[in-house]
Amino acid sequence: MNTLKIASRSILRNVRRSLMTVLAIAVGASSLVVFGEFVARVFAQLETRGVISGGHMAIYHRGYFDFGTGNPAAYGIRDYQSLLDLVANDAVLQPKINVATPIINLFGIAANFQDEASKTFFGRGVIPADYNRMQHWDEHGLRDFVVDASINTTDLSHGNVGVGLARILKLTKPLKLSAEKDASGVEEPAHGAELPKRDFTGLEDSTHAIENGSDSGASVARLDLLAATAGGAPNVVTFFADKAIAQGMKEVDDSFVLMNFALSQQLLFGRGEKQAVGIVLQLHHTRDIAAVRARLEQLFREKNLNLEVRDLKELQPFYKQAVGMFSAIFMFVAVIMIVIVLFTIVNTMSMSVMERTHEIGTLRALGVERTGVMAQFILEGALLGLIGTFLGLAVGVAISEFVNHAGLMWQPPGSAFPIPLKLMTSGAVRLFVSIGLGLSGVAIFAALIPARNAGRMAVVDALGHV
Amino acid sequence: MKMNTKLVCAALACAICCRGFASSPSDLTAQEIIARSDEVRNPKKPFQVTLQLTEYIDGSARNETALTVYSKLGVAEEKFRNLVRYADPPRDRGKSVLMDGTLMWFYDPSSKASVRISPEQRLVGQASQGDVITVNLARDYTAHFLGSTEGETIQDADRVTRSCWHLELTPRTTEAVYAKAEYWVERNSFHPIKGKFYSDSGRVLKIAYYHRYEKQLGADRPGETIIVDAVNAKLVTTIDSHGYREVDIPDSWYQRGYLPRLKID
Amino acid sequence: MNDEQATVVFENVSKTYRMGEVEVPALKGISLEIPASRFSMVLGPSGSGKTTLLNLIGCLDQASSGTVTVCGQDISELSDRAVSQFRARHIGFIFQNFNLIPVLSAYENVEYPLVLLGLSANERRERTEQILEAVGLSRVATHRPNQLSGGQKQRVAIARALVKGPSLVLADEPTANLDSKTGAAIIELMYKVQAAYGATFIFSTHDPQLISHAQDSFVIRDGELIEHRVNEARLQNAEAK
Repeated sequence: MNTLKIASRSILRNVRRSLMTVLAIAVGASSLVVFGEFVARVFAQLETRGVISGGHMAIYHRGYFDFGTGNPAAYGIRDYQSLLDLVANDAVLQPKINVATPIINLFGIAANFQDEASKTFFGRGVIPADYNRMQHWDEHGLRDFVVDASINTTDLSHGNVGVGLARILKLTKPLKLSAEKDASGVEEPAHGAELPKRDFTGLEDSTHAIENGSDSGASVARLDLLAATAGGAPNVVTFFADKAIAQGMKEVDDSFVLMNFALSQQLLFGRGEKQAVGIVLQLHHTRDIAAVRARLEQLFREKNLNLEVRDLKELQPFYKQAVGMFSAIFMFVAVIMIVIVLFTIVNTMSMSVMERTHEIGTLRALGVERTGVMAQFILEGALLGLIGTFLGLAVGVAISEFVNHAGLMWQPPGSAFPIPLKLMTSGAVRLFVSIGLGLSGVAIFAALIPARNAGRMAVVDALGHV
Repeated sequence: MKMNTKLVCAALACAICCRGFASSPSDLTAQEIIARSDEVRNPKKPFQVTLQLTEYIDGSARNETALTVYSKLGVAEEKFRNLVRYADPPRDRGKSVLMDGTLMWFYDPSSKASVRISPEQRLVGQASQGDVITVNLARDYTAHFLGSTEGETIQDADRVTRSCWHLELTPRTTEAVYAKAEYWVERNSFHPIKGKFYSDSGRVLKIAYYHRYEKQLGADRPGETIIVDAVNAKLVTTIDSHGYREVDIPDSWYQRGYLPRLKID
Repeated sequence: MNDEQATVVFENVSKTYRMGEVEVPALKGISLEIPASRFSMVLGPSGSGKTTLLNLIGCLDQASSGTVTVCGQDISELSDRAVSQFRARHIGFIFQNFNLIPVLSAYENVEYPLVLLGLSANERRERTEQILEAVGLSRVATHRPNQLSGGQKQRVAIARALVKGPSLVLADEPTANLDSKTGAAIIELMYKVQAAYGATFIFSTHDPQLISHAQDSFVIRDGELIEHRVNEARLQNAEAK
């Protein structure tokens, strides 16, 4: 007790120095709190975005993910309905799964021939009710998704497109997008000065051939989607874009088509057997991924199914990379803070030890052992560390409250829209505990060296030759 | 399926050889009609022909390409193999496309590399016309009559009224490109007049008109084929075929690996 | 506490310091016996080894050679921890500069040695209050050292040194930083408590007043014991009381 008494009062002897030390540590702790909460929210946002668009995990034909994305038809899942039933009826899986739905990935050429525009596209075929249900997942309670990305549930020839694709295919008017300027690319004309003309009006042509309702192309966003079927035959379906939804990354935004599952099946499999390319699973809780994966793999082994499971980190490499990057940055900041705390405490305690040489000698003369002297100074360092850390945590909480009510916005990488800039306060207790323990631990560790020096002093030297 | 195909092809071959040209229309099966119309477009012996492809957008010519096609019927499988060489425009001279059944390879002499053209790459553009030019319909499709076996009248590309059998073709082999086709073959002459080709989704992909028949290599052959793109309303392609010539074509010309060494005038 | 055998025995004790590459002999083969319950002093000019001698007596340092026995214990046999504990139990110190813990009150300073010895709170309170009373500092018990005069501080030091009832009290120039009047008062106090508690007082000093109170004198010069004088008059005074 005496040790604590002396330690706490000694800290107050040189108020300015102790205050500086405590503040330095507090700055470190509060920075970590604020940045930690920021990063936590970014993770939650990335996760939520990934889970909303692509679910937590996907079941594919073995080999599709690594080799088959260029040839989805060859890696189709044939009896996908019984696979869905298997998942729905399994006692282990059923309570954990929010949505289990079949999907199709395909690619081809999307064309607005009316306006002479075409582009390769990447199509995703989804069951509308399931897809729309997936949009509402919000385990982290972020509530900052403002865009309605739902797909038409009534008409299977309707769907959504990326904003970039809409522009490229000259659908800005019917989709009510801001038209910055008209496309001004020039197509190379045929060689030769004369462009001969010919009259084909006597022939049957497309105006008879299809159920085209595009009398006013300006109001309906109609596309022809061309793709090769599983059998290699050219195929085409009519597609109406209801909405243009910005996708996070330009390459995706410039080619994305969200279409009805049945329509995509028609396009990709044609006259062949109607399959699915994957089964997407959205769980209630992200933490269940491992358990669900284990159970699925067990089922696949038991039933001898040639399937594989891929989870969020594999399906959304951007998520995994962003998480990795932010974690690395956080670690970097943490290391810097630790170094600051270390140096501050070492400096402060060293000065303290030097100033109190006589006191050390006296304590030793009175009968305090070396370890007792060490403990004295370690305790002082620990007290400074603890006070600074707690102060820092409090300041960090205050800052995060302020930021969360300030109504700031920002656009994170990979996001299509600006979203509220907020800090994640729920579940921050873990962050506080680790910062508290971490920085206090560093303070104690930092005090060790000066404390050891204090303990090692020869008594007679400490007392000084008077 | 292959076994049956061979049997059917053999049976057909016999039927064609035995029947000759002087049969009365009512005895003919739909399949036989198709087979006869195939003969009109594809000479049996190895031949070369010069094609002039012109693409029209909204009626204005945009692209002109001259090709020389060396075509040979493969004995074993009764499918055509075609070596297409670009003659015009000058920038494309020397480039070749090798078509072996449903496989297509593109060769560029400047890179000395041959690249397979995937089905995706044949969705639009010149490569998409390849299916319509040489289609061995009788081999790949089953035919039956739509409407009366006596036929119906339609207008050809020149608005001339013709009396035709109206047939529906459905795929018989996995190599059949179209999910369905409608075919009008003129009675007695067995000239194909018009074809409508459907995709797996039920939409029309292309409408072909065959006209300007003239005698080439021992039979009437269409001098021009007009292909209306039913998906791209603005696009019409015309293919002018002339200069049919019987040639001796070595099998080696149809080997992908031989393409860099190919030397033809 | 009155131990008839000698409190401190030196047998041929030498102490040599190393300063860089040079060895400095501070004490050369000193043998002495400091009797128990006496007011003894060590005299000698600066540089004579007097401070070194006191350090050895106080078990603050170990001899280079020879045997130092304090209260019957050979100090050289003890580990550093054991020496600390020995000091805590048997030896009290009074320093020239008072050496009070600046953040503790007078009361807490005096109490400190008892905490080290692990006495109960009640016992500590009793003893501390008693000795503060004895040195006349009860009123200022809650004051911190920086609120006390020099004389008061030294009284606290004395109280601290004696509160645990040590066998041996060492005072190194205890009156050097006090004016003569205060110094005299301190000397009286030390004399009084020594008589009351029966501890062996050993001090080094230049103060003539203090010297005159000594019962035994040991004169050191150049690291050697020159003389051991006994002041019979003072001895008889003490025994008479």
